[in-house]
Amino acid sequence: MTAPTDSVSRISAMDMILPGVFRVRFRLPDEMPEPVPGQFLQLEATPGLFPVTRRPFTVNRMMDDIIEVIFEEVGWGTSLLASLEPGDPLRILGPLGNGWRGLDRGRWLLVGGGLGAAGFQFLLDRINCAEVVLGASDAGRILPLKTDSPVFLATEDGSTGTTGLVTDLLSPDLLAKPENIAVCGPIPMMNAVWRMIPEASRGRVQVSTESRMGCGWGVCEGCSIPSTDGGYVKCCSEGPVFPGKVIDWDRWMEVGL
Amino acid sequence: MTGPALRPVMWETDFPSPLMLASGTAGFGRELLDLRCLDAVGAVVTKAVTMEPRPGNLPPRILETPMGLLNSIGLANPGAKAVLEEILPGLEGFPCPLLINVAGETVSEFAEVVQVLENSPLQLGYEINVSCPNVSRGGRAFGEEPAVVEDASRAVSRVTERPFSVKLTPNGGDIVEAAKAAESGGASAVTVCNTFLGMFMDWRTGDTILKRGVAGYTSPALLPLVVARVWQVSNAVSIPVISSGGVSGGEDVLQLLAAGARMVQVGTRLMRRPGVAAEIMAEVGRLLQE
Repeated sequence: MTAPTDSVSRISAMDMILPGVFRVRFRLPDEMPEPVPGQFLQLEATPGLFPVTRRPFTVNRMMDDIIEVIFEEVGWGTSLLASLEPGDPLRILGPLGNGWRGLDRGRWLLVGGGLGAAGFQFLLDRINCAEVVLGASDAGRILPLKTDSPVFLATEDGSTGTTGLVTDLLSPDLLAKPENIAVCGPIPMMNAVWRMIPEASRGRVQVSTESRMGCGWGVCEGCSIPSTDGGYVKCCSEGPVFPGKVIDWDRWMEVGL
Repeated sequence: MTGPALRPVMWETDFPSPLMLASGTAGFGRELLDLRCLDAVGAVVTKAVTMEPRPGNLPPRILETPMGLLNSIGLANPGAKAVLEEILPGLEGFPCPLLINVAGETVSEFAEVVQVLENSPLQLGYEINVSCPNVSRGGRAFGEEPAVVEDASRAVSRVTERPFSVKLTPNGGDIVEAAKAAESGGASAVTVCNTFLGMFMDWRTGDTILKRGVAGYTSPALLPLVVARVWQVSNAVSIPVISSGGVSGGEDVLQLLAAGARMVQVGTRLMRRPGVAAEIMAEVGRLLQE
């Protein structure tokens, strides 16, 4: 793997695509290695001293040399980012972490919860996808995906797709077929999906995780997630995509985000 | 007035720059080597090493505040033996001096950890973290009691010929007295200082997010507090003072050197900018030319 770089790009587009959800595009800096699906970037929205850490985001999509990131405005850091306009400089550290393994290995089932589906477009563009299953609270939280594969939707308020949870759509038949199952969403959603998968199929599962992150490049051990060896794995440098079996789901559910 | 020493000599060693990367923000140096971000780094201080492996605290471990960062990592590390056998050999040929930060629950643990690490040829010396709780003194930080700081320094100086700095706490006791005690105990320098005790409280729910409640706080806003302590300590001891805390730019480094620091550590800023040392030293060069 080539080393990440820290360089300045310029924003080419900033659009609100859902209420409070933004899509930002910028050019891949010349010196930066091209990300792979599942990797993330540490974005620095301001050259000022505060906030003291960057904000980590997965790459939603690559369009030639244009990087696309989707993020939700949830606090000060993401508000600063959302306030940037085309032409503004944006400092990017990346690509960071490990992406989805075995992109060319058989068929994939993608299971996303809410904005956890950010990043799925990049994955869809590089795999042989069987089905996509997405769940969200309402239609305003379903990210649009470009794919020829069937997409099944569930919303808690029934505003689109089936009324219910993403797990309601996961039939044993659906889970049995694909060689790969990619899961990304809130911790309780990923945990619920994990529990539904028969023991024999769990080796096929990969999950894209998130955590409160300090550095993003493996030094501070701030983003640790409980692992099945009784210790912790670093979300940033050992993940953010992990085989599902690496995560100690009980302990992770207990500590939360 | 002569200019600040930008290639300082300390412990009979020429340092490539006065900037050290603070313990806990640079891992064991491996990642910075991979990122090619060691230009202009005077020395790397590793994360704390204890005798036994420590998994670290329950997550979440990091909480950003509007003007700083609270951390509650819990000295996560693989233990002295694994560091000696598995980590240090991989760092052979490391391009700048390495100090190993050492933590313990008792005075004797500091010396035991150092004894294990003495079997490595790699490190220039050590940094002794006396800000952790002293189990045999009811959890009070070692650094709060000058007599204990002196004991710890003496215990370490008995087991190594290598230089070591004692990293003092700003959270209790008199830091000047603690620095003098470290000097009496044989310390080769003091690091001033460790993180400041801080806490977040969600007034709506009573939730502190970080499970231990109190945590270590770092911020650019702490600079004047560190400058004051560096100035007080450097006027009271004759061993070198290494500053730690509050640094984000060249002005800060020059200010700390002027206040009496021989070397200046940068930490939280490094997490955001892996190439911070080169950035800061370029800025220092520009400032000195003006």
